[in-house]
Amino acid sequence: MIRTIIIDDEPLAAGIVQEYLSDFAQFQVLEVCQDGFQGMKAIQQHKPDLIFLDVQMPKITGFEMLELLDEPPAVIFTTAFDQYALKAFDAKAMDYLLKPFSQARFKQAIDRFLDSFGNEHKAEATDSERNLLAEKSNRLVVRVKNDIKIIPVQEVNFFEAEDDYVTIHTSGGKYLKKMTMKTLEESLDAGKFARVHRSFIINLNGITGIEPYERDAYLVKLRGGERIPVSKTGYARLRQVLGL
Amino acid sequence: MLFNAFSNPKIGKWIIPGTGIVWFLGCFLLQIQHGLEIETAAADSLVFGVIVIVSLSVIQSMFSYFLPKKENLGQLVGIPLMLSVLGVVGHRYLLSWWFSEESEYLDFLRITFYLRLAVLAGVEVLSAVLALLASKLQDQEQLNQRESQMLQLSKDAELAQLRQQLQPHFLFNSLNSINALVGSQPQKAREMVLQLSEFLRGTIRRDSQSWISLSEELNYLRMYLDIERVRFGHRLLVDFQVEEGAEAVKLPQLLIQPLVENAIKHGLYGLTGEVKIEVSGKREGNYFVLEVKNPFDPESTPAEGTGFGLSSVGRRLFLLFGRTDLLESGADGTQFKVKLKIPQFQ
Repeated sequence: MIRTIIIDDEPLAAGIVQEYLSDFAQFQVLEVCQDGFQGMKAIQQHKPDLIFLDVQMPKITGFEMLELLDEPPAVIFTTAFDQYALKAFDAKAMDYLLKPFSQARFKQAIDRFLDSFGNEHKAEATDSERNLLAEKSNRLVVRVKNDIKIIPVQEVNFFEAEDDYVTIHTSGGKYLKKMTMKTLEESLDAGKFARVHRSFIINLNGITGIEPYERDAYLVKLRGGERIPVSKTGYARLRQVLGL
Repeated sequence: MLFNAFSNPKIGKWIIPGTGIVWFLGCFLLQIQHGLEIETAAADSLVFGVIVIVSLSVIQSMFSYFLPKKENLGQLVGIPLMLSVLGVVGHRYLLSWWFSEESEYLDFLRITFYLRLAVLAGVEVLSAVLALLASKLQDQEQLNQRESQMLQLSKDAELAQLRQQLQPHFLFNSLNSINALVGSQPQKAREMVLQLSEFLRGTIRRDSQSWISLSEELNYLRMYLDIERVRFGHRLLVDFQVEEGAEAVKLPQLLIQPLVENAIKHGLYGLTGEVKIEVSGKREGNYFVLEVKNPFDPESTPAEGTGFGLSSVGRRLFLLFGRTDLLESGADGTQFKVKLKIPQFQ
């Protein structure tokens, strides 16, 4: 049995996936979820082999939900938006079905999945390179235990790199998210955030002062009282964006 | 054409012949008064009058189409001067030849030569300047006309485009719902095809300029909501509260639907569970005021910006009424409220 979960906020849209899927006897639908919150919980609970995922959904998008998963299952996106195709490809999606899609096109997607199913190593490989295509975003979605928190980027004071993770420091607390500094930097507005150090990106709004530290090194003081190290190239970049 | 810019063209084309006739009569009377014989005075004035008509016509056709550049602005004076010298000299030779026997008249011709030259030159230079001004004015007028036409065209085009801005995903998602219904509930699928067609027909209505009644617009809105309800099922609740007697109020087409679409988008994508959209309308003085309310989660920032829907409605209101104060929006606790004021002219 191949275990699947369907995540789509439109009941009829989920219905057609179910209908098409009923032609393939080896597939079993464990749950139909109407948003990313339910979806994430269902995936953690059932550990499905394959999910059908819509992009535009209440609260968080399908992509944001995927970012929250430690071991994402194989994904077939189903959406009416064609502009996400590239991002879906980057997210190692099995396939990308544009609504409305035909039964024949659906079968193609299933065949593609079945071809790779069983090659376990492939699913694992995605984990470390799961950073999605950087897209300008004004919010970050993080998992706090079993809950999901949406953080508007302007509320972030600074980001700190820690191995494969980034710690998001806000006035309300710290959050951990699996992503690289490079992807993060690209997704942020360059006029509001600056990478001042290999391990730090700061919110320019929160700067209260800059003080010399060692030769060619500086410290940036933030509103919350933190002192963030600034590298030589980081200082040059900072001067440029602040117009000093 | 000379003077056309000042008067209507029908009268304009008589101005030069008229000047000639007045010129003729004036000269004739002056010469009679001076003691010339009727025959001589008539011949002299007639020739002079014809010369005036010819030179004015030459000047008019020259300076109506040819605009001297700054560096040869002297032509504006030079050409009329040359023409008047030519005219007065021609006049003198012709009449000297004609009345070669009358020495008294020949003296008169000699004495009045410079006077004639001065008067003719003055009139011709003046008319050259006038012709130039007239043609410039005309050009300016044409330019203004073309500009305002262009402006109107681009305004119309923008309005049409804004009006027809249908979110493509709405169409594709609706088609997807129909695709799902075809298998399970064919009757409902057929219903939805019809609703969708009606809705689409409304967005591409031809007579874009005319206003429609509120009841028509609300019908259209209900059609749209019926489609959305098929898509989102029980999650979407809509409450209409329109003041009695307001159905006859007129308003520009498709102004409300984008606001409701915006409310649905932010309500349904910002929250899980049931979402209630409230639409209310009432008359307030010279305005019809419409409010659309949707619940939202102040904690979560929307994934996208604050909606193309609002800005496009704002832009349309500006193009239609030239005002930016007709659309207000803001959060009130967990409700997002959009207030639209439509001026009523009655």
